[in-house]
Amino acid sequence: MNPTQPNPTDYGMWKLMAWTGPVFFIGFFCMWGLLASNFPPMAASTSAQDMWQHYKDLQTPITIGMSVCMVVGSCYMTFGAAVSRVMRRIEGGEGMLANIEMTGATITYCPIVIACGIWLTIALQIDVLSPEMVQTMYYLAWMIVDLAYMVTSWQIIAAAIVFLRDKREKPLVPAWVCWWGFVTVASFFPVSLIPFFKTGPFAFHGMFNFWIAFPTWYIWIVSMSVFIIKAVNRIEIEDGAASPSAVREQSGSLIGAR
Amino acid sequence: MSTSPAVATRRLPGVEGVWVFVLADMCFFGVLFVSFMQERIKQGALFETARHTLNPDFGGINTLILLTSSWLVVLAVDAANRDRIAAIPKLLLAAMLCGIAFGISKAIEYGGKLAAGITPMSNDFYMFYFSLTGIHLLHVIGGCVMLTVFWLKARRGEFDSRNMKVLESGATYWHMVDLLWIFLFPLLYLLR
Repeated sequence: MNPTQPNPTDYGMWKLMAWTGPVFFIGFFCMWGLLASNFPPMAASTSAQDMWQHYKDLQTPITIGMSVCMVVGSCYMTFGAAVSRVMRRIEGGEGMLANIEMTGATITYCPIVIACGIWLTIALQIDVLSPEMVQTMYYLAWMIVDLAYMVTSWQIIAAAIVFLRDKREKPLVPAWVCWWGFVTVASFFPVSLIPFFKTGPFAFHGMFNFWIAFPTWYIWIVSMSVFIIKAVNRIEIEDGAASPSAVREQSGSLIGAR
Repeated sequence: MSTSPAVATRRLPGVEGVWVFVLADMCFFGVLFVSFMQERIKQGALFETARHTLNPDFGGINTLILLTSSWLVVLAVDAANRDRIAAIPKLLLAAMLCGIAFGISKAIEYGGKLAAGITPMSNDFYMFYFSLTGIHLLHVIGGCVMLTVFWLKARRGEFDSRNMKVLESGATYWHMVDLLWIFLFPLLYLLR
């Protein structure tokens, strides 16, 4: 290997990683939310027998949905890598916040995959599990996926700080997305209350801790994905690696360069 | 015919993003307030009995503390606007100390409840009481950290009439914290 050989930026791979953001949010919406009947999720106050029956009735869709989610969830990591690379263009190569963002996105995948694995196992083993065991495992998955929120919070905070520091006349990621990130983090904190409530807004299925905290995060993921895809195209143009028209053709008409 | 009516210069204080945060945060609290009222309608007798165990003096003192703190922050912004640089850190420090006083008052209040065996698990009223005031307290703690950072910046002379955006943004947040308490206090302590 020639150590003096320049390393050209692989924009194609970068764009591919950026597009894994939409793969994540569309995949989870369809497989976790719709197919596995988690809109709304089964309430924390549901009796053990009813939980068992829920999994018995929905064994096949939950099995398929959770299996796919365990795979699709990894896209959050690759999306985080794409975000991190964009952040480096603002923060510089030695920036710590870009590292925090990527690590945060990667670790966020861990509780997601573990929780989905537990829900999958309940569905697979429903005929040999007691209702109490189903209830315990169901709670376990929710505690793991919800209470790991601080890792995701660090990811979001890091991205928000860096993109707010963007000195471009038209920043790569608009300020409102960054501030929405802070809103998302603020909405996460009450999630700490889920171990204490089985009813009301602070239960894991409750008005606040499900219907506000998750959609708020979801809006952040969707909006950040859109602007990261655009940002990679803009950076490619800034670098002079492609003409604007070529980039537009490559990206299609849905999300093109600004 | 050309007329040139006097156009009043209107400017949104602080950065626009902080208003996104403030509005969204207030919507979150709005949802919680509605949830509280729904439960209150369902369990009126229980909520009324439990409400009487709260000491409105604590709530009243905390209201005064936060209003004073907000006023001090307004004075700090005004001082920056008038380039009275030396006054800014003193006002911010006083505002931050008010925030700490609020936290101490809340700790005493929580301590009394816990010592009496009252926890968030006791009933739905206390669940709301501890959760709503706890989330609000987190906002106060965040605000105190912010005011400490502003105080340090002000000591270095970083705020003046040309550099006020950050200070105004922080003041907007701090007023929101104050405003939320003004809703929380009657909702939890006074509403019959």
